[in-house]
Amino acid sequence: MKFRKPRTPLSRQQIVSDSPPVKPVIPDFRAAQRWNIVWVVPFVAVLIGGWLIYQNLASRGPVAQVSFETADGIAAGKTEVRCRSVRVGRVKELELSDDLNSVRVSIQMDPHTAALLCKETRFWVVRPRVSGTDISGLGTLLTGAYIELEPGSGPQGTLEFHGLEAPPPTNSKVPGRRLILTADEAGSLVVGSPIFSLGVEVGRIESRELNPEGHQVLYRAFIQEKFAPLVRENTRFWNTSGVDISAGAAGIKVRTPSFQAMLAGGASFGIPDGLEPGKPAPDEMVFKLYPDEDDARSSLFNATLKVVLLFDQSVRGLAKGAAVEFRGIPLGRVTNISFDYLPPGKDSRIPVLVEMDPSLLRHSLQGAVKGQDSSVLAEAVAKGLRAALKTDSLITGTLFVDLDYYPEAAAAEVTQLGEYSAMPTVSSGLALLETKITAILDKIQALPLNEAMDKIGKAAEETATTVAAARDTLTEINATAAAARKTLDDPAFRKIPADLRTALEALQKTVSSIGPDGTMQGDLLRTLDELRASLRSIKALSTTIDEKPSSLLFGRDSSGNPVPRAPRSKP
Amino acid sequence: MIPHPPRAIDQGLANCHVCGKLTPVAKHHCPRCGTALHLRKPASLQRTAALLLAAGALYLPANLLPVMTLSELGDIMASTILEGMAEFWRRQAYPIAIVIFVASIMIPLIKIVALTWLCAAANGKVYSSPRILGRIYGFTELLGRWSMVDIFVVAILVALVQFGAYMTVTPGPGALAFAGVVVLTMFAAMNFDPRLLWDRLEISKAPDPPQPPADRE
Repeated sequence: MKFRKPRTPLSRQQIVSDSPPVKPVIPDFRAAQRWNIVWVVPFVAVLIGGWLIYQNLASRGPVAQVSFETADGIAAGKTEVRCRSVRVGRVKELELSDDLNSVRVSIQMDPHTAALLCKETRFWVVRPRVSGTDISGLGTLLTGAYIELEPGSGPQGTLEFHGLEAPPPTNSKVPGRRLILTADEAGSLVVGSPIFSLGVEVGRIESRELNPEGHQVLYRAFIQEKFAPLVRENTRFWNTSGVDISAGAAGIKVRTPSFQAMLAGGASFGIPDGLEPGKPAPDEMVFKLYPDEDDARSSLFNATLKVVLLFDQSVRGLAKGAAVEFRGIPLGRVTNISFDYLPPGKDSRIPVLVEMDPSLLRHSLQGAVKGQDSSVLAEAVAKGLRAALKTDSLITGTLFVDLDYYPEAAAAEVTQLGEYSAMPTVSSGLALLETKITAILDKIQALPLNEAMDKIGKAAEETATTVAAARDTLTEINATAAAARKTLDDPAFRKIPADLRTALEALQKTVSSIGPDGTMQGDLLRTLDELRASLRSIKALSTTIDEKPSSLLFGRDSSGNPVPRAPRSKP
Repeated sequence: MIPHPPRAIDQGLANCHVCGKLTPVAKHHCPRCGTALHLRKPASLQRTAALLLAAGALYLPANLLPVMTLSELGDIMASTILEGMAEFWRRQAYPIAIVIFVASIMIPLIKIVALTWLCAAANGKVYSSPRILGRIYGFTELLGRWSMVDIFVVAILVALVQFGAYMTVTPGPGALAFAGVVVLTMFAAMNFDPRLLWDRLEISKAPDPPQPPADRE
C-alpha cells in the first residue's frame, strides 16, 4: 500500500473525510476557533491573583521610615509600635543610614493607621520597661522595648520621620502643672514613670537630669490640669518605687506600691497629716522628692538651711537622716557626715552637715526675727543656741542632734566654713557628765552643813551631860554593890544558910511529928474520939433534956432494958 | 519506499480517548463506548496555552503572598515560600531548604516553561529534535504530581496546630494561589496533545520541499 504524503497546501484544509480510510488526513495546526471558552481561565486567574495581591497590600498599611540614633532594644519583626498602648504597627526592618550616623527603622503600620502618620507625629523608643498592664502571655514576662507613636497634627501622608531619643515632655500647649522635683538619688524613677496621688495616676515624670553642680537629680514632672489643684505649696513628694522594707523599734514594716510602680518606678505626693493645705503651687515650683513615704510624712519642716556642725567627739551612732530636733521638735535632719566640708589638716573635729527649717527656730526667739535665715541663726546662736549629740536609744546607741539654748555656754558665733555656715556645738557624753557632776557637787556645797553641825554639837553636849549623870549613878550602884558584897562576905551572913538549914530540919522534925506517923497524930486522934464521944453524950443529954426536961432534976429513967449498941469503930 | 509506517491519522482513524479503540473518525462516536472521536485533542494548544497563562498569573501571588500564618502567643508571623526557605537555609537546614526550593519554586516554574516550549514547538515556532521534545514531555508528565508537597504540608499543619491563643497555623492567601498554579499546570499538561509535536515533524520530514507553515495565524 502506498502512502501518500501531503505535498500541497492542501494540508491547510480541514480534511476529515467521510470516505473510507484511503484518504490521507493530516491534522490542521490552525486553531479550530479563534475564541475558546478556556480563555476565561487565565482571565479569572489573573483576577484572583491580582485581587489576592491587592488584598495583601491593602491590609498592610503604610510603611514609615523613622531614624533613631541607636537601635538599642529594637528588633526587626518583633518590636511593636504603639500609640497610647495600642499596637499600631511593627518594626519591619532595621538598617544603618547611609552616613552611618543613625539607624533607619522601617515600620510596617497596621491597616487603617494612615491617619496617625502626620507631619508632626513623633516617635520615640520606650526602652525596657514593664508596665503592669503589659504582661500578656506566659513567655513574655518582660516585653522588650517598643516604639511609642504620638499622633501629631499637620498634613497626612508623611512617611519619613526623625525619632526622638527620649520621650518628649508633654506638649506645652497641654494644660497642666509643671513642677521640678529634686532628689539626692535617682533611684528607679525614670522618665515616663507615673505620679500618683492617693494611688491615682495624675501625671508623669518627663525628664531627668543632674543639676549643674551634679549633686542632685532634677526631675521635671507634669501634673494633669484637672489634678493640678492637688499640688499645694506644702505638698510633699516621695518615691514609691520598689519595695520599702524598714526595720525599726516598731518592728518590720514592708510597704509595696502598685505592681506597676514597683517595676517601673513612680512618685506620689500628699500633704502631711495635720497640715493645712497651702496655696496652690505655681508652675516650676521646686519640691524635694523624699526617698519614701515615711520621710515625707514625718517631715513637718521644709529644710532650706544647711549648716555644718563640728563635733569634737565621736559621732558613732549618728546616721545620715538622723533627726535634728529643737527640744524634741523635729527641725531637720543630718544629710551628710564627711570631712570634705573641712579644710584639710587643721582640725580633728568631725563635720556633720545638717539641713533644717529655720522658720521653726524663729518661733523660739522672742519676737519674730525678720530677715535672712542666716541672720536668724546668728541671732539664735548669740542667745546661746548650740547643737549637741544626744542619745536617741540606749539600746541601739543611735544619736541625734539636739539644738537647745545653753545660756551658760561660752560665747560663740556662726562662722563660715566653705559654702556652709558652721554652728557652734557643745559636747555631750563625758563632757556633759562632768558638767552634771559639778552641778551636783555645787548643790552639795550649797547645803547648810554648818548649822546642822552646830545642832549636832549641841545635841552631843547634852548627851555628854546625860552620860556623866549616868556615870554617877553607876558609881553609886557600884558602891551599893560593894556594900552588898561586903555584907555577903560577912561570916555571920555566911552562917545564915546553915542556921537556916538547922531551922528547917527542926521544922521538918516538927512537921513529921505532926504527920500520920508522928506521935502527935495518935494523941490527936484520941483526943478527937474523946471529943466525939463527949459530943454524943451531950447530944443524948440534950435529947433527954428535950424529951424530959425534968430529968435534970429527977435523973433519968433507969429502965431495965438497955438498948444494945454496936461499938463504934475507930476512924 | 515507505520511510515510515502509515499513521492512523493518515488513514482517517482516531483513537478513542476513553477506551482506546481505533475507529474511523468519520463515525464521530466510538462504537464501543460512545465517546466523541477526535483525531487530536480538540483545541489542545489553545487550552494548554490558556491554562499555562492562568498558572503563570497565579505563580506571582503564590510566591509573593504568605502561604502560612503562624500566630504564637499573639506574635503573628506570616511567611511566604521564599521566606520559609530562607529561614531554613539560615538555620543551616540545607536539605529542607533545597527540597522546598525544588518542589515549590523550581517544579512549577519548570513545568510552565517546559509546556510553553512544547506548545511553541507544536505550533511550529520552535524547532527542536524530537528526542529532546520527547524527553521534555516525559519530564513534564513525571513532575505533574509532585508539586503539591507544599499544599499538603500547610494542610497538615493547619489541621494539627490549633492550640487556641498559644499557637495557631492558618493558611495564607499564597497557599490558594499556589494550589491554583499546581492544578492549572496539571490541567495544562493534560490538555496538551503530544502527537501535535510529531505531526509537524512528519510534515517537515517530507522529502518534498517542506512547507513550514509560515502563514499560520
